[in-house]
Amino acid sequence: MRKRLLTGVIAATMAAASMVATTSAHAATIDYSKCANLTACGGMDALVKAAQKEGKLNVITLPRDWANYGEAMDLFTKAFGIKITDDNPDGSSAYEIQTVKTAPASKVPDAVDVGITYALDNTNLFTSYKVANWNDIPATYKDAAGRWYGDYAGVIALSYDTSIAKAPKSFNDLKDPAFKNMVAIGGDPSGAQEALMSVFAANLANGGATSNVQKGIDYFSAMKTSGNFVTALANGQNFLAGAYKVSFSWSFNGPGAVATAAKAGKTVKYVIPSDAVIKGTPYIMAIPFNAPHPAAARLWTEFLYSENKGKGSMDLGSTKGMTGSKIFAAINGGQNIWIAGGALPIEYDAMVAKKTNATAPAGYEIPAGAKIVTPSVADQDAAKLLLKAQWPAIAGN
Amino acid sequence: MKRISLKWPLIALSSTFAFILFVVPLYGAAAYSFKGNGGKGHSFANYQWLIHADGFYPSLFTSLKLAVLAGVLNLLLMVPTMVYLNLKGQKFKPLVDFLCILPLIIPVVSLAIGAQVAMPEFLQNTEYELVFFFVIIALPYTYRALDTSLQTVALKTLVEASRSLGASWTRTIIRVIVPAIRSGITGALFLTFALSIGEYTITSLLHWETFPTWTVVAAQQNILGAIAISVFSFVGAIVLLTAIALFSKKRVQQVEVEA
Amino acid sequence: MLPLLPFFIFTGFFLIWPVIAVTLRSLHGNKNEWTFANYRPILKAGPYFHAFVVSLKLSIMTAVIGSILGAFFAYVIVKYARGKFGAVIDSISAVFANSGGVPLAFMFIAAFGTEGVVTVVLKKLGWDIYAGHFTIFSFTGVVLVYSFFQIPLMVLVFKPAIAGLRSEWEEASTNLGASQLTYWRRVAIPILTPSFIGAFFLLFAGGFSAYATARALTVGTVPLVPIIIGTLVDGNVVSDQANLGDALAVGMIVVATVAMAGYIWAQRQAAKWRSS
Repeated sequence: MRKRLLTGVIAATMAAASMVATTSAHAATIDYSKCANLTACGGMDALVKAAQKEGKLNVITLPRDWANYGEAMDLFTKAFGIKITDDNPDGSSAYEIQTVKTAPASKVPDAVDVGITYALDNTNLFTSYKVANWNDIPATYKDAAGRWYGDYAGVIALSYDTSIAKAPKSFNDLKDPAFKNMVAIGGDPSGAQEALMSVFAANLANGGATSNVQKGIDYFSAMKTSGNFVTALANGQNFLAGAYKVSFSWSFNGPGAVATAAKAGKTVKYVIPSDAVIKGTPYIMAIPFNAPHPAAARLWTEFLYSENKGKGSMDLGSTKGMTGSKIFAAINGGQNIWIAGGALPIEYDAMVAKKTNATAPAGYEIPAGAKIVTPSVADQDAAKLLLKAQWPAIAGN
Repeated sequence: MKRISLKWPLIALSSTFAFILFVVPLYGAAAYSFKGNGGKGHSFANYQWLIHADGFYPSLFTSLKLAVLAGVLNLLLMVPTMVYLNLKGQKFKPLVDFLCILPLIIPVVSLAIGAQVAMPEFLQNTEYELVFFFVIIALPYTYRALDTSLQTVALKTLVEASRSLGASWTRTIIRVIVPAIRSGITGALFLTFALSIGEYTITSLLHWETFPTWTVVAAQQNILGAIAISVFSFVGAIVLLTAIALFSKKRVQQVEVEA
Repeated sequence: MLPLLPFFIFTGFFLIWPVIAVTLRSLHGNKNEWTFANYRPILKAGPYFHAFVVSLKLSIMTAVIGSILGAFFAYVIVKYARGKFGAVIDSISAVFANSGGVPLAFMFIAAFGTEGVVTVVLKKLGWDIYAGHFTIFSFTGVVLVYSFFQIPLMVLVFKPAIAGLRSEWEEASTNLGASQLTYWRRVAIPILTPSFIGAFFLLFAGGFSAYATARALTVGTVPLVPIIIGTLVDGNVVSDQANLGDALAVGMIVVATVAMAGYIWAQRQAAKWRSS
């Protein structure tokens, strides 16, 4: 009895060993943690097969209503049958980097989406992979070695409750006493990117240069004195409770925020202010060298940089039995998913030239003739220093 | 001299105050959670959404499990420690007191990052690592609750009596001291439990899915649902703790009667 | 000493080790070199020093309010709420004492915000609380909201002390002809003082380090040290000094250590007072 059991175990072990041998012999040709472009990864069919075999993708700090990421994740899972784990969707860029550095192997994210300074400071954490549409990414926002590249950017918009008597169109409008106790900001501008850009926008509207945001701080200070600016945190719940009626937000959060507010019974509208168009530096996509699902990580990146106009998660049927490249060609690409979410994807200009861009949602148009300004990384650092010293004082304590 | 009874004025005063400070805000939030779809009318829609949401039961179960373990570990560690401190180790008290207050002072973010750097990999691969950190961040409360309680009993006399009757240390602690400091133990246990079940920062920084981290994800698309979640967590935790309290009280009384 | 070993091993591994890691990092610069530079911005007048002042002000104020009102509640509860009702109060206190962050901030906005329940009712009665300078998103507002967890925390940690007052003592002192006032002055308060000081210190430390609520209620307009640390360590905007947050954390530990020394001194005085 005992002997038989032992032989059985040996047989099973041998069978398992031979299986490992065959698969590894097959995969030995391609090391998915090293292959640096689609061809090296064996083409789309092979990449999809390898990714499906891994079966999982770790993403990190992607709020569902941020830049339409909810749709991107749903579509990816539905099309390829790969389960996505989204770690700490409310987290920050610092948290993403921290996780890449210190998390146990299985929890390292397969791809990160971080602010540009974080990518520049941590290039050694990322692996080289150039997406198929590499040439459509402007050179300013990509690493020559392919370790990081920009993905999308947004414009600072005014978001407001349509129940208020007067619809604001500009920063200047908000000074009106009609907006008493109504205007709020989405965080501490010395710590939150969206709030920082809102101060840049206010600064621009009041004639300030991006190198010095003093006029932006003065604007909020005056608004605080007049009682228009409430120092409430602009978020969904506080908005619902009537803590504020107008706030500043990335355009790419608009469609999501409008839908979420509607579910709670509030009508929200976005408008790009007529007196200041501030476009953020694009966020950066990168694959950590220690990504636990390297093939899925590369497929996810290819998907996000695809310019396809195809099916969304709602109208995509079963993809069973289809080859990887067929599925990939049938679905919407990430660039168009971002457009639908109100963001400006990095390949936008190339897409316009090729006419592959989807229609952007209405209401987020940049006013005709407006000058689009993007504060440089150095401008942002200077602004933060100034804000750190002056911002708390505007509340008078 | 007849004493004036302050009973009713005191009760009236404290109830009014408690009403304004505690009941009204809770009511304010709860009112929103009972709004119907699209913010219209009143309904249980948000609560129904919550209990049917994907991941509700597994994450709740994980949290309950970790909170129970943290509560138990906490008492196992701290009851003997505090008894010894108050009995013989007076000179170590300031040191232990300081160590116990530290978790309150160190920003949780720093502690979590320190933990990621310092903890061995095998521990970081199991969700039970959270139990240890829940115990750590509960220390300030446990120490105070147990210490206050121990100071009000004649510890030395109790221990001497029990020991002279031939009881072992373990038996002395379980049969004599524990019943004597019950109010402190309940306080310590409740605080640890409530803290563990609601802990967010460390859990999220260490990448685990418990009820609080799950709710953040679940709440993203549903503002009214998010409010329902916080009301649910509040009321649920209170009901649960009350049930435990009533149950354990019964048990303790039984033990006392038997003994 | 031996019975304390498990405690020291446990805290040594899960608490002290991470703290040492933070302290060492605070003494390193961006390029991993040894430096004291991270401490300089804290020690000179400026936003960081100011944040320490505001944090201290907030924690002392909320500890004073919380400990006095909490002690009062604890007394009423011990005296008049027994049995099952007492158990309910314990549970409520434990849960409230642990509340904080966005949910707590929201509750107060829903009650005392511009369109809150209380605000609306008071307005109908002819009192517009937002007519003047008051807003819930200010220092005063934060103090109010902190009471929500400070008072229950006090109730929970101070209740055992009050429960320890024996009714025989009161009877005895009455039998000896003492008035209620004398009983409190000569018996109850001396007995309660060490526990009160201990609980006050706990509230102080808790108020000093709490930040999720203030962060959810204000937008950096009430500058608190833990909020700044959170911003530096966890923010979306990169900081010029990566390890400044660690230095601030060490600064908090130093402040707490000083407060701790004062607390131990006060405990000793109280013990002397009690034994004399």
